[in-house]
Amino acid sequence: MEQKTIGLLFFSETFFLLILSVSVGILLGMIVSQFITAMLLASFGKPYAFSWAFFPDTVLMTVGFFVVCQILVGIGNVRILNKSRIIELMTANRQNEKPLHKSRWMPMICIFYGILLLWMLEVGAVKYYFYFDSRHPLPVKLMYWGNIVFPSLTLLWGITGAFLRRKTGFSRYLCGLLAGAVMTAIPTFSIAKLENTYFLGYDAPTLNQYLMFGIADILFIISTIIYLSNEALLYWKESKVSRKYHNTNLFLFGQLSSKLVTNTKTMTIICVTLTFSICLFVIAPVLTGWSLGYLDSRAVYDIQISSRYNNVYEVENLPDTDYDEITDFIEKNQIAIEDDLIFSEYLPKRDSFHQRVKYDFPPLAIALKDYNAVREMLGYEPVILKSDEFATHWHRAADVKDIEDYIAVHSLLETDTGTLKLSENPVFQEPVGESIYNLYTDVVYIIPDKAAQALLPVQRNRFVMTKRPLSFKTAEALEQLLASTYPEDPGKDNLPGYSTTIHTTEVNRTIALNFILKASLIYSAVVLMVMCLTVLALQQLLDAEKYHYRFSVLRKMGVEEKELNILVLKQLGVWFGLPIATAIAVAIVVISYFLQSVSAEISAYIGCRALMRQTGITVGIFALLLGCYFLSTWLLFQRSIRGSSNRL
Amino acid sequence: MKEILKLNHIQKYYGNGGNVTKAIQDISFSVQEGELVGIMGASGSGKTTLLNCISTIDMVSAGHIYLDGTDITEIKEKQIARFRRENLGFIFQDFNLLDTLTISENIALALTINKVPAGKIDGRVREMAGKLNIMDILDKYPYQVSGGQKQRCACARAIINQPKLILADEPTGALDSHSSQMLLSTIQSINEELGATILMVTHDAFSASYASRILFLRDGAIFTEIRKGSDSRKIFFEKILDVLTMMGGGLSDVR
Repeated sequence: MEQKTIGLLFFSETFFLLILSVSVGILLGMIVSQFITAMLLASFGKPYAFSWAFFPDTVLMTVGFFVVCQILVGIGNVRILNKSRIIELMTANRQNEKPLHKSRWMPMICIFYGILLLWMLEVGAVKYYFYFDSRHPLPVKLMYWGNIVFPSLTLLWGITGAFLRRKTGFSRYLCGLLAGAVMTAIPTFSIAKLENTYFLGYDAPTLNQYLMFGIADILFIISTIIYLSNEALLYWKESKVSRKYHNTNLFLFGQLSSKLVTNTKTMTIICVTLTFSICLFVIAPVLTGWSLGYLDSRAVYDIQISSRYNNVYEVENLPDTDYDEITDFIEKNQIAIEDDLIFSEYLPKRDSFHQRVKYDFPPLAIALKDYNAVREMLGYEPVILKSDEFATHWHRAADVKDIEDYIAVHSLLETDTGTLKLSENPVFQEPVGESIYNLYTDVVYIIPDKAAQALLPVQRNRFVMTKRPLSFKTAEALEQLLASTYPEDPGKDNLPGYSTTIHTTEVNRTIALNFILKASLIYSAVVLMVMCLTVLALQQLLDAEKYHYRFSVLRKMGVEEKELNILVLKQLGVWFGLPIATAIAVAIVVISYFLQSVSAEISAYIGCRALMRQTGITVGIFALLLGCYFLSTWLLFQRSIRGSSNRL
Repeated sequence: MKEILKLNHIQKYYGNGGNVTKAIQDISFSVQEGELVGIMGASGSGKTTLLNCISTIDMVSAGHIYLDGTDITEIKEKQIARFRRENLGFIFQDFNLLDTLTISENIALALTINKVPAGKIDGRVREMAGKLNIMDILDKYPYQVSGGQKQRCACARAIINQPKLILADEPTGALDSHSSQMLLSTIQSINEELGATILMVTHDAFSASYASRILFLRDGAIFTEIRKGSDSRKIFFEKILDVLTMMGGGLSDVR
């Protein structure tokens, strides 16, 4: 048969399989999409009813896309077949796997890592020069020193080792770099924790830069671990004769080694992708839980508007409005009102009005009657204060230890009307909305009404609770009206800005966005994981012919079936286990860093128990997917190596 | 001399119903300890089927095979593998070496499977490699050595456990004439110096001339048997050719 005919046969066969797969895929997709519809409706609290939707244009586009892909790939395959000699096709299954000794993959990665180390060193030195303070506690000092010392040492080894490579060997050279990379990762990843504990004052770009350094460092660690895994396996094998010559260990080591040495790149990519997938699985519920939890804190009232004075530099320009447009809108639209509260918040000291440094913004004060009215609106018990006392109300995300520390050193409050002392019941933390706090602060002073009278009112608020939720259309109209009358950004200096939140629009938009975020993150995580596991499974199953031969040799030599089954399990266990264990270990480090940096938000908006539950579900999905893939690969593998004659 | 192998009226059928192929009709013979027996015949005469039945790779349809007094057709499925590794050695046409292991490891594997203490393995491998002249390729992989060297490695693997019977299936089938000659000398020395009993299937008269006795198969049955006796190898070779000519058919067979 001519190669051209073979090529056409191959193309026809794969094309037929494609059409079959796409047809089944579309059918299953239509069924599975019902789950997404159900999830979406559940997010909005709506009932779900099964509906069979068929969109011919979508089907045509899907089929068209895959057909074009298949034609392109098919033409390439036919060309390869046409160029191949018949003898190559006939003996392809008996060819040895190509050794990877000449690959430049790892040396190139080392060069890129060297450049990264240089950059890390430069950033570490700059941060040390500008931010290091001898009064810093020891962990912070160690972090500063570590960010200079470890990249320097690793870089030094990278350069000197490169010259001594022939003497030391590439594996030892890589071991040195790996040790350096692990040491470098420690101070890099400690920054989030230290920032939270000691308030180093690193801004978001710096933290993001270190996160990027950490991720790049981890990518290098993964690549090196996978590259060295074969060396480690060989070292382990040769280190003990009894291990090397135990039963069929020689065969197992040979199987693993030949696969590892020729699939370094694939294994590295799988490992990195798996790490990414696991991180997405854990981070998705954190982000969406944060978003939804924040919604509860943010959209507490049906209508809420507050002014901001951070652009106002003259006292006479401060707003003194009752937001009458809201009153008119309510009357015009005949909206039934349950509670309506207009109140001001004050600066305890008038002279702090011009205090506009980001880290030194003054907290606001609220009169006791207004505070109790707010609490009453939300169903909380009123607060009682003596005439010379004050209390504090804290943001939901504020840390308990931070609050205790603050209270310990702020037992007195100096105001323009006198000094107040801290009440016996000094702290409240119920969610009362985000807008009562001044910018960059997370506390409000609650002061007696009399004390508030003579203070400077700097913020004007109006909170409204309606008897029935506003319709989306009405809410949108009110939102537009308020946005035009009370813009968030006035566009010029010396005018106040306003923050408006309408519960209906806020909730609907947030839930929709949250759903998209959740679906896309989890979908991406599942797709990436399925891809990785599929590649891992295929890597084993595609070599079935080769394995059939090797295992039949063992059978002829007198190895029992039970022993062969154990060998298969061990082989698949290592093949699946190595990238998965590496990915899990690396993901734990990355996720810990992430959770550390958003720990306050997690405890405020999600709760540790809810997060643990979500993580449990994630682990469950992961274990289920892995179990399915492992089991099916194991069964298919066993079938592929089964003997063809009566006994073999 | 001790009788090491005895075949008693064995038959082997393939297929079922009205589509039955008789690969072996009715074969009986025995092999003495230390003999080098050749089995010759044309393609489809049943040589490999016979070898597979003796090697427990395949099962007979009828009859009995005794190896050192044990009826291997009665051995239970679970014990077959153990019996094979303890009593038989194999040399195949396509070497059957594992490409993921070095030559040394390929030989050692036969010992590790037989639970030989780890401390003794390297020594025994080196000793065997020395006898078969493959010391210098022990650390190489099969794809790095010649066909002849591969087959000598296969020989070493087959005899390192000192099996009761070595079965060689077309051992020179994939070798050039020089390598074939070297290998056959090796097999002969294994037979003569180590006293190994060897059953060699071949369709090549030159290879068969190294045997002390040859069984000729035709259509699944023994056609005839010749012994070398005190003849030189050259005379024995000519006798083999005569039998092959006779087996190939005379003028009366041409229609």
